[in-house]
Amino acid sequence: MELRYFILRRLLLLIPTVLGLSIFMFILIEAVPKAILVTPYINPHSRIPYIIQEANALKILGFNYPPPIAYLFYLDRLLHGNLGLMSMPGYPNSVAAAIVDAFPNTIQLTIFASLLSIAIAIPLGTYIGARPNSIADQAGRVFSLTGYAIPAFWLALMLQIVFGKNILLGNPLGVLPFSGSFSASAIPNPTPSWFVNGITYPTHLVIFDALIHGDFPLFVDALKHIILPVLTLTYGILAGILRFMRAGMVDASNQEYVKTARSKGVPEKLVIKRHIRKNAMIPTITVMGLLVAGLLGGVVLVEYVFAYPGMGYLTTQGILSYQIWLVIGTTLIFGLILVLTNLIVDVVYALTDPRIRY
Amino acid sequence: MMQNTEGKKSESETYLRVEKLKTQFFTARGIVKALDEIDLTIRKGEIYGLVGESGCGKSVTAQSIMYLVPDPPGRIVSGKIYVGNVNILTGLEQLAKITVKSETNVKIKRNKRMIKRHNYLLSRIRGDRISMIFQEPTLALNPVIRVGDQIAENILLHLKVDMANAILRREMSTRKDYESFVQKALSIGDKDARNKAIREWCESYSISDAEELVRNIFLTYQDPETVVKSIEFIVNERKSGTNINRLSRAREYYLYQQRLFEATLNLMEAESGKNQDEIDRARTALNEIKKEGSSFLSFRIINKFIGKRIEAPLRDAAKRRVHELLNLVNIAEPERTALSYPHELSGGMQQRVMIAMALASNPQMLIADEPTTALDVTTQAQILDLIRNLNRQMGSSVLFITHDLAVIAQMCNRVGVMYAGNIVEEADVNTIFDNPKHPYTIGLLKALPRADRIAGKMVKLETVAGSVPNLITPPTGCRFHPRCKFKMDICEKKKPELDDLGDGHKVACWLYQEPGGSGK
Ligand SMILES: Nc1ncnc2c1ncn2[C@@H]1O[C@H](COP(=O)(O)OP(=O)(O)OP(=O)(O)O)[C@@H](O)[C@H]1O
Ligand code: SF4
Ligand SMILES: [Mg+2]
Repeated sequence: MELRYFILRRLLLLIPTVLGLSIFMFILIEAVPKAILVTPYINPHSRIPYIIQEANALKILGFNYPPPIAYLFYLDRLLHGNLGLMSMPGYPNSVAAAIVDAFPNTIQLTIFASLLSIAIAIPLGTYIGARPNSIADQAGRVFSLTGYAIPAFWLALMLQIVFGKNILLGNPLGVLPFSGSFSASAIPNPTPSWFVNGITYPTHLVIFDALIHGDFPLFVDALKHIILPVLTLTYGILAGILRFMRAGMVDASNQEYVKTARSKGVPEKLVIKRHIRKNAMIPTITVMGLLVAGLLGGVVLVEYVFAYPGMGYLTTQGILSYQIWLVIGTTLIFGLILVLTNLIVDVVYALTDPRIRY
Repeated sequence: MMQNTEGKKSESETYLRVEKLKTQFFTARGIVKALDEIDLTIRKGEIYGLVGESGCGKSVTAQSIMYLVPDPPGRIVSGKIYVGNVNILTGLEQLAKITVKSETNVKIKRNKRMIKRHNYLLSRIRGDRISMIFQEPTLALNPVIRVGDQIAENILLHLKVDMANAILRREMSTRKDYESFVQKALSIGDKDARNKAIREWCESYSISDAEELVRNIFLTYQDPETVVKSIEFIVNERKSGTNINRLSRAREYYLYQQRLFEATLNLMEAESGKNQDEIDRARTALNEIKKEGSSFLSFRIINKFIGKRIEAPLRDAAKRRVHELLNLVNIAEPERTALSYPHELSGGMQQRVMIAMALASNPQMLIADEPTTALDVTTQAQILDLIRNLNRQMGSSVLFITHDLAVIAQMCNRVGVMYAGNIVEEADVNTIFDNPKHPYTIGLLKALPRADRIAGKMVKLETVAGSVPNLITPPTGCRFHPRCKFKMDICEKKKPELDDLGDGHKVACWLYQEPGGSGK
């Protein structure tokens, strides 16, 4: 019961948070010279003089008013799903449309990487945390410290070199594609109706759309493309979760209640599973939220290195070609994801730790 | 020799017997010789008080008896601990090989297989025969598990067979109840009287909603057998329905586990005896029982998937017992408390929950390590009352640890006084207070304000001069000698044994012993 109110309250709190985020974004916009802001709104081939086009664009965007009013114009556009315009070859003109195309890919990478790392780190952390200083523990420690120390882009490059197809001649391991989300050669011929301009429908995720439409070869091809980026992303968070899980296990093992459990005759396996792990999960969940949020930073680099057409790739392309509205738009979306992740973490946290007061 | 015959004499009434227990902590600064071959016996039903200064090894004694000494750094090095008739240190030498090269360089080589088997032994003894209450209830309860579940865990670990028996017996008797009810109802000629009997019966089985149905059955059929069957069907329909066959199969499995445990224990005992014949015999017996296990294969597979369902009636029974236990420890709202998390309860309530948990499986012995130190004075008195009453009601022995002599005086039957890892004096409570022998005990008692001495005039309380020795390099001989006013030459050289002065008053001091020549 109480939990429901807690979630409701957290959802209501989301409103000021998101408003704050939009204000922050607007300040960034204000800091940009107006000439750059209006660039995508100007048609260089039009006969209407540049000055007049610029004045019109400024008026439409509300920049002829003082900043507070201009912010309301911006908010109004946001509420209508209008994130501004952009002009990049091969992309739609609307920032929102470009993001809608790219967003699912990023979410897919993030979710795969998170699930994979959680599925590995929790049992592994439980195992080594229950045997501190054993050989398995030492190995786990080296593994997770390495994960911390290696920058994602370097790992991505190394994985490309070792597993990338046709990078090193005669490399027996080089079997995986390392760029894009599918191979051009895997597109069915003739191009089916659900495949338009390199975007698949309905989910925009090649893997799932291929599966939905029963195109198995394309599905396998897309799956191969996702392996290296997911592995790169996984290693970083895996290392973090593993470290916290291990530390949580060791810490919980030394608590009095573990002694109580043993004094009751709880078999060792259950002591670990029921009494230690449950407590070790609490700090791990907190850090898991932070790490998954931190993935968003990693995803920009990883998508760039693997030319994976997600939000990160889109953002870097936008930066390189001065698409200011695009960069602002993706930043806003990243911010929203972060806020939502935090909300989810708080709720899960409240569910696992009865001591949390909502 | 002497000890042996004496041991036999008191065998029938001893529950716990600790022999030459030696526990040490292997730390980077050296070996802490925390327990120096202590002997201790606790009789059935008595409250044995263990008292001594902070750091003298009371908690280590308690933890050793439960085999809960934190390892690393601590280990029981040698000794025997009989709980009932089982030595929980059976096969101790095989668990780990300790090679002492120097104080700070100790190699411990653990034998994982043996440790696993020993853990199995412990999990059957702990909580079942012997339970423990800790000093800090706040820390001793698991913060993320409801207290009811923490208590039920204990019940489900150790009382499955009993509960399954009770449930099966009840279910069997229901059938007889139906028969006698049907006979009675059929013999009632008057319609209203019969209907009244039916209503009452339905209420007693809490199936009032099916009263109409039952009445119709009586109207439709005359043949008692059919009526009984129909009623049985309705009752089972209305209740969740225990699957008798599965539960009795489960009980057989629990019994098999018990036999397996006993056979393993026998083997462990034989192995520590070095008699090859016996070892072989015990091993064959164990293998025989293991063979039985194969007949449980299908049950175990089923249990893996629907174990929760099979055990559902056991869980219900455990829940009821949790409520009973909470009632027993004077918790006002058992149902609500069972659903709370530890942090929602006060310290006193938490300690009550701990006590309920410790008593959950009817252990024959309870260890209470300063159970009231963390509580305020009023709660402390209530908890002490509770422990004393439960001891009287259940007749289980209690090892009561405290540094408070006043508490000892009101709680205990017998007292052991500890000093720096030794029990230096042991006697019944009156003897200790009226006729203490060991210089340390005498010193302790002088530090205690007593009504008969305070009466009328102010008395300056004395303390035992000096401080507790460092147990890494304990004093030689009698560990009390640096602080003792009566120190003699021999005291530094030879350790005095705990010797009986008669009437079970034991003292470890050269003042009362003849050390082969020199002495008083
Ligand atoms: N984990 C440990 N590591 C090293 N030494 C320990 C450890 N636990 C206990 N000891 C040592 O064992 C000795 C006895 O400690 P113990 O806890 O039994 O004292 P106590 O009699 O229970 O005291 P208190 O009244 O303070 O509870 C102390 O000298 C202590 O230093
Ligand atoms: S043995 Fe000696 S030093 Fe120890 S208590 Fe007795 S008299 Fe004192
Ligand atoms: Mg203590």
